[in-house]
Amino acid sequence: MDESHGGTGVNRGPEGRSVDVRDLRKTFWDESRGEVRAVDGIDFDCQPGEVFGLLGANGAGKTTTLRMLATILRPSGGTAHMAGYDVVERPEDVRRNLGFYSASTALYPRLTARETLEFFARINHYPSARVARRVGELIERFGITDYAGVRVEKLSSGMKQKVSIARTVAHDPPILVFDEPTVGLDVMNALGMRNVVRALRDEGKTIIFSTHIMSEAEKVCDRIAILHRGRILALGTLEDHRERTGKHYLEDIFVQYVTAVPGQDEEVGAPYGPAANGPDGEPGA
Amino acid sequence: MNWHDVWIVFGREMRTAFRERTVIVNGLLMPVFLYPLMLWAAFTALVFVQGLTEGYTSRVVLLNVPEAHRALVDTLRAREDVDLREAGVADALWMLDDGELDAVVEVLPAEGGAAALADNFRVRVRYDRLEERSIQARIRIREIIDDYQVGWVQREAEAMGIPEDELERFRVVPRNVSTGREMGAIVLGQMIPLFLVVMVAVGCFIPAIDTTAGERERSTWETTMTVAASRLSVVTAKYLHVAALGIIAGVLNVVAVFVSIGAVLRPLLGGSDGGLSFSIPWLAVPVMSAGAACLALLFAAAMMILAAFAKTFKEGQAMVTPVYGLVLLPLVLGTQTDRTLTPLLAAIPVANVAMMIRDALAGVFHWPLIAETLAVTLTLVAGCMVLARGVLRFEEFLLGSHDGSVWRFLKRRLGRGRHGPAGRVQAGAEALGD
Repeated sequence: MDESHGGTGVNRGPEGRSVDVRDLRKTFWDESRGEVRAVDGIDFDCQPGEVFGLLGANGAGKTTTLRMLATILRPSGGTAHMAGYDVVERPEDVRRNLGFYSASTALYPRLTARETLEFFARINHYPSARVARRVGELIERFGITDYAGVRVEKLSSGMKQKVSIARTVAHDPPILVFDEPTVGLDVMNALGMRNVVRALRDEGKTIIFSTHIMSEAEKVCDRIAILHRGRILALGTLEDHRERTGKHYLEDIFVQYVTAVPGQDEEVGAPYGPAANGPDGEPGA
Repeated sequence: MNWHDVWIVFGREMRTAFRERTVIVNGLLMPVFLYPLMLWAAFTALVFVQGLTEGYTSRVVLLNVPEAHRALVDTLRAREDVDLREAGVADALWMLDDGELDAVVEVLPAEGGAAALADNFRVRVRYDRLEERSIQARIRIREIIDDYQVGWVQREAEAMGIPEDELERFRVVPRNVSTGREMGAIVLGQMIPLFLVVMVAVGCFIPAIDTTAGERERSTWETTMTVAASRLSVVTAKYLHVAALGIIAGVLNVVAVFVSIGAVLRPLLGGSDGGLSFSIPWLAVPVMSAGAACLALLFAAAMMILAAFAKTFKEGQAMVTPVYGLVLLPLVLGTQTDRTLTPLLAAIPVANVAMMIRDALAGVFHWPLIAETLAVTLTLVAGCMVLARGVLRFEEFLLGSHDGSVWRFLKRRLGRGRHGPAGRVQAGAEALGD
């Protein structure tokens, strides 16, 4: 069970869930704002071969949630199991079964693309004997061949993005976390990213995909959780959300959920209202 | 901690470090070339200035010359670089004060055992220490008088039938009794400990900042935090890489100084080796290596702890720079040649290692004090480790959300904001404890 490299051969929680989050909380103390509940008791689970979307405005608690799942932050309360491992009790095992991609996880600029993939495969305990073959496969799959020997600092942003995705899956983890992966990308690169996510889903990976772009969530996610002020307001497939709200577009659905929260009416649509400065105490949350 | 993980991260750190120009310059080129070149330039400049002053004629007044030593006056008059003038004591001193004279030489009766030889003498040379020309005159006159006196004592002794080996007690002229090897050890003892300490610090400086604040600035810190290796393995690898680069810089510098010292000193010694012989006792090599390793571990720990609070490379530089001051302060003690390691000095960090190395170069090995020195340094290293481990437990440190300041961090941890109202929430809860 511990040697779970190889796609979907993963420890699972009850009922085959690869991600199981229960009453997860994160509270910060901020000098100016006092106690801040960045994540306020959320529950969800994910299955292999599913893209689970976390949709929310900036500051809704998406990044804090994902950082807790990636064991970067310690939860203030609740539990989270990734590939069957508790994020507090077994953080190294969680990270071994996880690929984490975000704007704040840049590549080492002085390594070449090939060295980068080798490093991440090895440090995430991919079997040593298979590292060279795995790196070769990734280089071919992501079209990195022409610049595999070039240092990352000399690559274009599109090339870096490919290397970055390749390093996220270098150790073939069963669970992948993409935190706002298309932020800052041009249209073609964003499209490429979404295609990669779909392809990885089709391979049986569990994917948690956070975004604040409604159209992106519509296109990529199998199920969507609407996150607002650290709480999940609604969770289900896009069809579920349409049925519940009577709205067609996710943007309208999102607005309806958020305005239903007491005291939110005046904030929605206000260009620089309090909603734009969410409760998270963490940078990039 | 998983040593396989440590090795992988260490390899990545070293590989990237040697692709960074500032690391190459600070860690490799400076140790090899900077100090030998700097010393050579300094000594050459010194010799040049000395040459200029040697071109001056020394204006000298010789007072109270006994009849038996009129030949000394003739000797001085015969010199082209000496202008022997006539004046009384008061006038001569006034002229010296006024800059019209460079030296006033007073011949006095010999004292002690030297006085047993009739007409033997000693001299008192008055000169102006602020004037280079006057200093040069003093050196020149002393050399002439010393040569004269050595010859005179020898002739008198021969005339009186005194054997050569009994002449020593009549000599007034100071004579260097150290061998060339001993002199070489003193020269090396002055330079190597100083350079080694400074170079180990220089070697640690850039990597310590680059691997902490530099990673934050490049947004690769969080990337490193998401790998399957434990935090302890990652930090250990980074720490060992900084220490290794410090050791490399120190060792390269010692080798460069040792190899080039003869050539560097040649201009100062008038184009010859001056009879100096430079060699290091074999036992000094392990002592120096242990000293360099301990210093590197200490500097790496101290610098990384400070730099890890910074968010940018520039902030890191500002935070780590004071460590240099702390290094150089005790080093002043460690390079004094008239002292050897004592139990008290062995307890003073940095100075103790410098003195231990200096003693070792001179062939002096006080093993209990060497053990004390290493124990004191390693205890400090352990203290830094405990501190680092404690700091690493805090999320605001790991995430860099403490505004990049040690003081703000401490204020938050120790001050009123620590637990928030009613102690419900920690200021940046503890990070996962792996």
